[in-house]
Amino acid sequence: MSLVHLANVCSHLQNASKARLGLTSIPSTNMLLTLSLALQTSGFLSSVTRGGLTPPRLDTLSSYVPEPVTQENVSTRRLWLGLKYYNNEAVLSEMSMISKPTKRIWMDADGLARIVRGKEAGFVKGLTKPGESMFVTTDKGILEARECVERRVGGMLLCRVL
Amino acid sequence: MGLIEKQNREMKERARENFKPYTEKEKAALAAKYTPEQIAAIEAGEAAIDPVDMNEGGVIRSDWGTLDYLDDFSTMRTMVDRNYFNQDGPKDPNARMMTEQESMEANHDFLKKIYEENPLPEDYNPENEEHVAKLRPNRKDLLRSFDEVPSSMGTHGPIKEPSLMAPGIPIDIESELDQSEVVKKKVETQEEEDTRDPDGVYDRFRKQTGLTLDEILKLNCKILVQHNVTNQTRLGKIQSVYALAISGDGDGRLGIGEAKGQEPLDAMNNAKMQAMKSMQPIPRYEERTIFGDVEGKVSAVKVQLMSRPPGFGLRCQHLIFEMARAAGLQDLAARVPRSRNKMNTVKAAYQALMKQRIPDQIARGRGKKLVDVRKVYYGGRN
Repeated sequence: MSLVHLANVCSHLQNASKARLGLTSIPSTNMLLTLSLALQTSGFLSSVTRGGLTPPRLDTLSSYVPEPVTQENVSTRRLWLGLKYYNNEAVLSEMSMISKPTKRIWMDADGLARIVRGKEAGFVKGLTKPGESMFVTTDKGILEARECVERRVGGMLLCRVL
Repeated sequence: MGLIEKQNREMKERARENFKPYTEKEKAALAAKYTPEQIAAIEAGEAAIDPVDMNEGGVIRSDWGTLDYLDDFSTMRTMVDRNYFNQDGPKDPNARMMTEQESMEANHDFLKKIYEENPLPEDYNPENEEHVAKLRPNRKDLLRSFDEVPSSMGTHGPIKEPSLMAPGIPIDIESELDQSEVVKKKVETQEEEDTRDPDGVYDRFRKQTGLTLDEILKLNCKILVQHNVTNQTRLGKIQSVYALAISGDGDGRLGIGEAKGQEPLDAMNNAKMQAMKSMQPIPRYEERTIFGDVEGKVSAVKVQLMSRPPGFGLRCQHLIFEMARAAGLQDLAARVPRSRNKMNTVKAAYQALMKQRIPDQIARGRGKKLVDVRKVYYGGRN
């Protein structure tokens, strides 16, 4: 599981929200899909849709059924993400990696609890800015750090989002 | 000694008065609507909540996300609540604008009615001023016609639309046009000269902001940066003085002002005046610290401000300390990791304070519900 795609996605989402895009696409991988869904449940994204090289129609975004993935079209699959804006500001404005492709960082629930409370743990800075979230990949799927603490699971730290 | 028991008993009685249990009549009304299981659930819920908690629980919010007026939303207030016009009954589907002809007729009818109600006196003399003043319809009637003559046509004739004025504003045309009143008001508003401000330095500022001289003199104004600057022209160097001032009311408002002048005193006074004029509210958490960590950057200066728990104090460098004190912050830590140019430090700190993101706004942006745990834990009284 390479993190290179995730690094690109972090930068891309920042750029897209700075450019005030309503819809943007990222590569379609299982990790990026679960991360996007986690971002959506946290309220950072308005929609997550699987599609091809052209964006799905906006009016059918909620009832859209993606075409099945086959060997022919697998290389052209993209995830289409709807970005959110409120009060003339992007809801997702900053997104940066914590684990890097060359240096993964794992943390247990106790360490995550420190981070969630705004303290530093294992050279990872705490979540001190209002509304800052961190996403962790665990064996229960990709979760928000606060949920990890609640469910007492640890995992690999993916990215922090603001 | 039985004092606490007595106090508790009184508290319970008071709470019971405000939150009474269901009467037999109310229970019968509930039984008509709900199944026995649901009634049992309702009763269990009622029993689980202590009336003392209910009585003590409600507090008037004072945090950053509150409305700027007091309301429990139990009644519709036309001045502030939206959708006021849709409240009064069904709309006519055939309503349309009047044609020119219809509009003229409606106006004519209105004015004619006034004329008929106030006929000309028998001995009307156009040179007699008293007679002319009593002539109807006059200018007031014309103004009133804008508001009272209908301009739409419905299925059953003309429709009177709601006034275009904001609802609740009294339409008092009489007093608006009465010149003697206006003159009297003008005379009243002319104030006498204050000994504390004989030159009238603050006159304009007072009129612009509506602050009193007491409030203005109470503002915390301070020159933070002052140095000489030079403009090199072909005639030689022209020296002048630069000053940067801050101003705050110690209760959440802060402004910075800059000025340049030949004389140090002029520059300082102008800077202070600018600072007072540019005062803006800064978000404060619990009126003592900031919302989370913020960062401001101006030129090479980066300022990191960090919120701290109660009783921490203002542990930051002198410039930021002065700003925080003027703004009414009590717990704050700051770091200026890079360049420490004084002018830019102040500007970056101001930028950081203004840039704070309010949790309420973030929650609305994300569509999440957000609760301040500190407030809930202390029952809203901390």
